[in-house]
Amino acid sequence: MEVIRIQHILVYYLTNTVSMIKINNLNFGYSKHKPLFKNMNMQLSNGHIYGLLGKNGAGKSSLLKNLAGLVYAQSGTLDVMGFNPVKRQPALLEQICFIPEEFYLPSVKIDSYVKANAPFYKNFNHTYFSQLLKEFDIPASNKLVNMSYGQKKKFIIAFGLATQAKLVIMDEPTNGLDIPSKAQFRKIMASVLTDDRCIIISTHQVRDLDNLIDTVIMLDEHDVALKASVDEITQKLTFKKVKELDESIIYAEASLSGYNAVMPNYHNEDSKLDMELLFNAILAEKIKFKPLFN
Amino acid sequence: MEFRDNKAIYLQIADYVCEHILLGKWKAEEKVPSVRELAVEMEVNPNTVMRTYELLQNKNIINNKRGIGFFVDESAIENVKGYRKVQFIDDELPVVFRNIYLLNIGFDELKAKYETFVKENFNV
Amino acid sequence: MNNTFNINRFGLLLKRQWLDFGKIYLGTLVVLIGIIIGFYSYFIPSIHSNNITDYDGNLDMRFRYGLFLFLGFLFISIIASNYFNLLGQKSRAILELMTPASVFEKFLSGIFYTAIISLFSYLLIFYLTDLAFVKYLNSNIDAFKGINPKVTEAQSISHQLFNDKNYLEYCGYFFASPFLITSIFLLGSVYFNRFHYIKTAISVMIFSGITAYIIFKAADILTSDMVRVNHGNYRNNGDSALLLILLITTALTLIFWAIAYIRLKEKEV
Repeated sequence: MEVIRIQHILVYYLTNTVSMIKINNLNFGYSKHKPLFKNMNMQLSNGHIYGLLGKNGAGKSSLLKNLAGLVYAQSGTLDVMGFNPVKRQPALLEQICFIPEEFYLPSVKIDSYVKANAPFYKNFNHTYFSQLLKEFDIPASNKLVNMSYGQKKKFIIAFGLATQAKLVIMDEPTNGLDIPSKAQFRKIMASVLTDDRCIIISTHQVRDLDNLIDTVIMLDEHDVALKASVDEITQKLTFKKVKELDESIIYAEASLSGYNAVMPNYHNEDSKLDMELLFNAILAEKIKFKPLFN
Repeated sequence: MEFRDNKAIYLQIADYVCEHILLGKWKAEEKVPSVRELAVEMEVNPNTVMRTYELLQNKNIINNKRGIGFFVDESAIENVKGYRKVQFIDDELPVVFRNIYLLNIGFDELKAKYETFVKENFNV
Repeated sequence: MNNTFNINRFGLLLKRQWLDFGKIYLGTLVVLIGIIIGFYSYFIPSIHSNNITDYDGNLDMRFRYGLFLFLGFLFISIIASNYFNLLGQKSRAILELMTPASVFEKFLSGIFYTAIISLFSYLLIFYLTDLAFVKYLNSNIDAFKGINPKVTEAQSISHQLFNDKNYLEYCGYFFASPFLITSIFLLGSVYFNRFHYIKTAISVMIFSGITAYIIFKAADILTSDMVRVNHGNYRNNGDSALLLILLITTALTLIFWAIAYIRLKEKEV
C-alpha cells in the first residue's frame, strides 16, 4: 500500500508542476461594499477535473467568469495560460471552452452555426464534433431553435469540446440534462480529460459528478475553504456509517441505519469520499478542518 | 456499473477487473482496456482508473508494456486470489465473525451449511 | 496570430455577425422599402389633381427630401441601436465576448454594419426607388401635359446629386452627419442594457438642449452691451460656418466611437 501511495504522490507532483491558472490576491465583488473574494490565491493545473463547490452566492459562477475574463477584478492578478483573461485576446479565447449555466443560441441550423463559429478555433475537429452529437443523440440536421433546453445544452457542450480548448469551464453542466444524458455526459467527460487539459466544473448536484472530479475546490466566506485532491482527502479523512457517535467524529449526519460520519483517517482506511457529506461538514466545522489541509 | 457507498472507487474498479479475470473474460497475456476506455465505461475520472492500474500492477495482476498498454499477467488468477483472500480476511471476515459470535452459531452447523452451499452452487 | 487585428479573423467575424444581425437588418430593410414605396405612391403628382408642378415647373417631387432625411435618420439609428443590444442580455453577451476575435475587431464589425452597410444600403434603396418612380412619371409626361402644358420632366435624386454642382458641394459639408447619428446610437447600444433606443434618444435631446442653451447664453453674455461694427469690406462667408459643422460632426463621431470602443472593452457580464 505504502509504495503505491508514494508512487501516486510522485505522479501527482510531477503533473502538478505546470500551473495553467494562477490566481494571486484576487479581490472581486459586484460592488465595493460587498466583496465576494478577498485576497484569494489558488493555482490550477492541467490533467485534472476540478469540482467547484459552494453554497448559493458563494461565488462559483463569479470565479468561473473571472477565469474567462468576463468580469473585472478590483485587484490582484490572474494568469491563464500566460494571458491576462480580461484582455480578451483571441489567442486565449480560442483555448477556452466556456459553458455558462444560461446560454443563448441563434435560431439557425446546427450546420450554419458550426460554419460561422468553428473557423475561429484552429484546432476545431469536425469528425469529433459529429461523433459527440451522435453520442448525445442530437440529429445533425436540427434547427437550434426547435431543440429542447437539454438538447441545446448538449449541443454547446459538444461544440465547446470539439474546439479542443485546453481550458474547459462548465457552470452547472448537468442542469437540465435528463438521466440518460447525464450518463452520456459523464462518459464524454471521462474521455476528454487529457494531460494537457484543465477542466473546471461547478456544480451543486454533487452526485451527478462525484466520480469524475479528482480535485475538490470549495468556496466559502470570500475565499477557498478547501482545495484538495480526492486522494488527499480520503488519505486524511475517512467516511463511514457508524452506529454511535464518539469523540473522533468530526461531523455526522443521521441516516436510516445510524450515522454517516467524517473522521480523521487514523487507521489508513480506504473509504469512498462522500462529497455531499464533506461539503456540509466543512460548512459546519470549518475550524476543525483547517489544520488537516494546509 | 453501480458503485457502492462505502468502498473507495479505485478499489471497486480493481474488484471489477479482478472479477473479469477470475471469470475468464480477460485471459492471461491479453490486453485489458486502456485507462481511458475503462474510465469512459465506468464514468469515472481517468486518474482514478490510473490509480487502480497502479495497484493491480503492484499486485502483479496486470503489467504495463511500455507504449502498448496494460496486459493481464500470466499468473494473474493466482495473484487475484491472493489479493482477494487478504481483502476477504481483513475486511469481510470480521463482520461474519461478529455475527457468528453474536448469534451463537456453532462451527459444526457452519460447516454443514458451507458444504451444502458449495454443493448447490458449484456442483462439486 | 496578431491579437489586435487579423484580416482573416475579421472576415470570419463579419460572416459570423451576419448570422445574427443579418435577420434584423434584412427585416428592417424590407419594412423600409415598403414605407418608401408607400409614401411615393401617395405623394407623387397624380393626373387627377391640379397642383402638379414645383417652383421650377418640374413635376412636383418636393415631398421626397423630407422623407429622405426623416426615414434615413430612423433607419440608420434603429440599425445602429440594435447592433450591440445583444450585449444587454447576459447569455448572449457571454457568447459574443467569448468568441475568439479581438475587441477591436468586434468593434470594427459594429462600425462596418451600422455605419457603412446601413448607410450605403439606405442610399441605394432610396435612390433606386426614386429612380423607378421618376421613370414611371416621366413615361406618362404626356398625360400631365394635358393638365399643365408647361410641365417638364422630373429628375431623380441620383441625377441631381451627380449633375448639380451646388447640391454636391453643400452635401459634402454634411458628410459626417449620418455617421454621427450611427455613432451615437451605437454607443447607446453598448452603454444601456435595455430600451437602448429610447434612452439614447432622450439622452441626445437632453444633451443637445443643454448645449444649445449654453451656446445661446454664452453668445448672449459675450455680445451683451456691444454694437455690431460694419467695416464695409466685410464679406459674409457662409462657408466657414458649414465647414465648422463638418469639423464638429466629424470630431463628435470619432469621440463617440472611441467611447463605444472603451465601453465594449470594459463590458462585464
